[in-house]
Amino acid sequence: MTTTVRKIDGYRRLENYTPPEGVPITFVVSSLGSRFGAQTLDILITFGGAFIAILLLAWADVMAGSALMALFFLLIFFIRIPYYILSELVWNGRTLGKRIIKIRVISADGTRLTPYQITARNLMKEVEVFTPITMLFGAESFPWPIMTAMLIWVFVVIFVPLFNKRRQRLGDMIAGTIVVDQPRAALLPDLTDATRAATARFVFDPSHLGIYGRYELQALESILRNPPKTPEARARVAEVAKTIMRKIDFPERVGRRDEWDFLQEFYRQQREYLESRHLFGDSRADKFHARKDDTSQGR
Amino acid sequence: MTVQAPSDANLDHIRSTRFRKEREPGWKRLDELVTRAEKSGVQGMGYDDTLALASLYRQAMNSLSVARAISMDRALLTYLEALCARAYLVVYAPQESIRGVLGRLMTHGIPQAVRRSGLPLLIGFLAMLLGGLTGYVLFFQDPSWFFTFVPPELSDGRTPEASADYLRRTLFDTSARNNEAFGVFASFLFSHNTQIAILIFALGIFVTLPSFVLTYYNGLILGAFVAMYMDVGLGYELFGWLSIHGVTELAAISIACSGGAQLGLAVLLPGNRTRRAALRDKGRDAVKLMILAGLMLIVAAFVEGFLRQMVQSTELRLVIGWGLGLGWLSWLCLSGREGARP
Repeated sequence: MTTTVRKIDGYRRLENYTPPEGVPITFVVSSLGSRFGAQTLDILITFGGAFIAILLLAWADVMAGSALMALFFLLIFFIRIPYYILSELVWNGRTLGKRIIKIRVISADGTRLTPYQITARNLMKEVEVFTPITMLFGAESFPWPIMTAMLIWVFVVIFVPLFNKRRQRLGDMIAGTIVVDQPRAALLPDLTDATRAATARFVFDPSHLGIYGRYELQALESILRNPPKTPEARARVAEVAKTIMRKIDFPERVGRRDEWDFLQEFYRQQREYLESRHLFGDSRADKFHARKDDTSQGR
Repeated sequence: MTVQAPSDANLDHIRSTRFRKEREPGWKRLDELVTRAEKSGVQGMGYDDTLALASLYRQAMNSLSVARAISMDRALLTYLEALCARAYLVVYAPQESIRGVLGRLMTHGIPQAVRRSGLPLLIGFLAMLLGGLTGYVLFFQDPSWFFTFVPPELSDGRTPEASADYLRRTLFDTSARNNEAFGVFASFLFSHNTQIAILIFALGIFVTLPSFVLTYYNGLILGAFVAMYMDVGLGYELFGWLSIHGVTELAAISIACSGGAQLGLAVLLPGNRTRRAALRDKGRDAVKLMILAGLMLIVAAFVEGFLRQMVQSTELRLVIGWGLGLGWLSWLCLSGREGARP
């Protein structure tokens, strides 16, 4: 299966990315902003570092002038392409700038990143990054046909990553690589830990639990993960609790102070109910599940 | 991590919570190992930890697969997805040592890539040759073409107006330059030429044309120079002066152009594949050609910076230059015959 890209909440998520274990995992494709940032940082770090090194050596006067010149030329060569190849090889797809911005290069097909891929994508950097920058600095000295050709070139290079879903530049296409955000997430506590079935104060029967689906459950989860601190937030929680009671036609009256407990208990029982329905082959994506069943039976 | 039978206390929880409780210690341990590997690499980890990393990774992948089927806790799914992705990146990191990669490139990769790229090599060398011929012929028609082709900072006084004596002196430079100055010159040449070669290579992706034009232009300059020296009867001496480094350097530029042609041909004539797939496939050989060009340029810069200044006899220059050429040729033709494509 080939990977596809889907846009969710403004993020481009890479789907069907299948490692050899066969379980698809997801990555978020890096935005052009963070890639631009990482590239700028890399340029600042490498050129700044080379400049400072040469200055220090010249100031310390440990090397002859000509040896310093030779070192300078070699450094200028090294920080253009070899630096990127070596750092991505050693740090598994990360240069210093990428490490700071927290993005990295991965192989598009789910296998490990190979030295060939790293070399290919960074050789193309000369055309896509360095030469356009160098030329822009010396732009006024060129006759107009070369200027026009250069402008077209720069536009092509900029528009290639803009107009493909995986945000690949030319080098990425040749190498078959994608730049993604470094995945990170903390393990949040399980919300059902707070309540126990034996001590349940509110009891819901299947007619109460059959209204909502997975989407509403997860919306409630995100509410419950942020306990209200201000009176306005408490009012909103009360609003949510009232709406749920009205929708599921809950017979009991719930006092103002018990609304939070009510929501937690409802979340626990609703999740248990939906998960077991799911195991029996009755997946409910959202609250419209009943309507969908009707239409499918009608056909 | 062991999966225990649910105890009485655990029966209180719903199924997906029990699932999480049983496996959480394993995830926590994996998280810790992955964080360590991300910071300082797998190399610094002990045997037990590395072993645990691999097996915990597979268990986490398994957990993710199960969690997707039974759990509706979004926080848990998000965490497991991130954890598995991080562990995947650590477990499937490039394993090759830099020395091993280079060794394989030298013995098999590069020679085999060169033998596979007949047409692109033809394009690369043809560009240089045609450029040279054009420059040569045009110069004899009208020497003022020289000023059109050759930028003044490159000709450095070596123009058709210069005296034969001056031109001879540029070929046999006996001014006392010490070794350090040679070093500067060599490193400058290397840095400068490699950048040009990479540019010629990478521009090839725009359907070969820019690579061809740049190489052709290089040939034009060369042809004009040759014609100018021939004009004053210094043809043989110039041939020696050029050969000592030029055989390697000009071949390197042509090979960089061939690498570009590989890319350009993949875009222009992808065959039955998509352009992207063709690029990915041809890119492998193209990159190897570029690495070869880089290697040759290192050698050429060394020869041009040191040897050409030290060796003043034309015959010896010819022997060194063409001997080097023969060396390259036999390496590329003979090495790596036994193994299949790596």
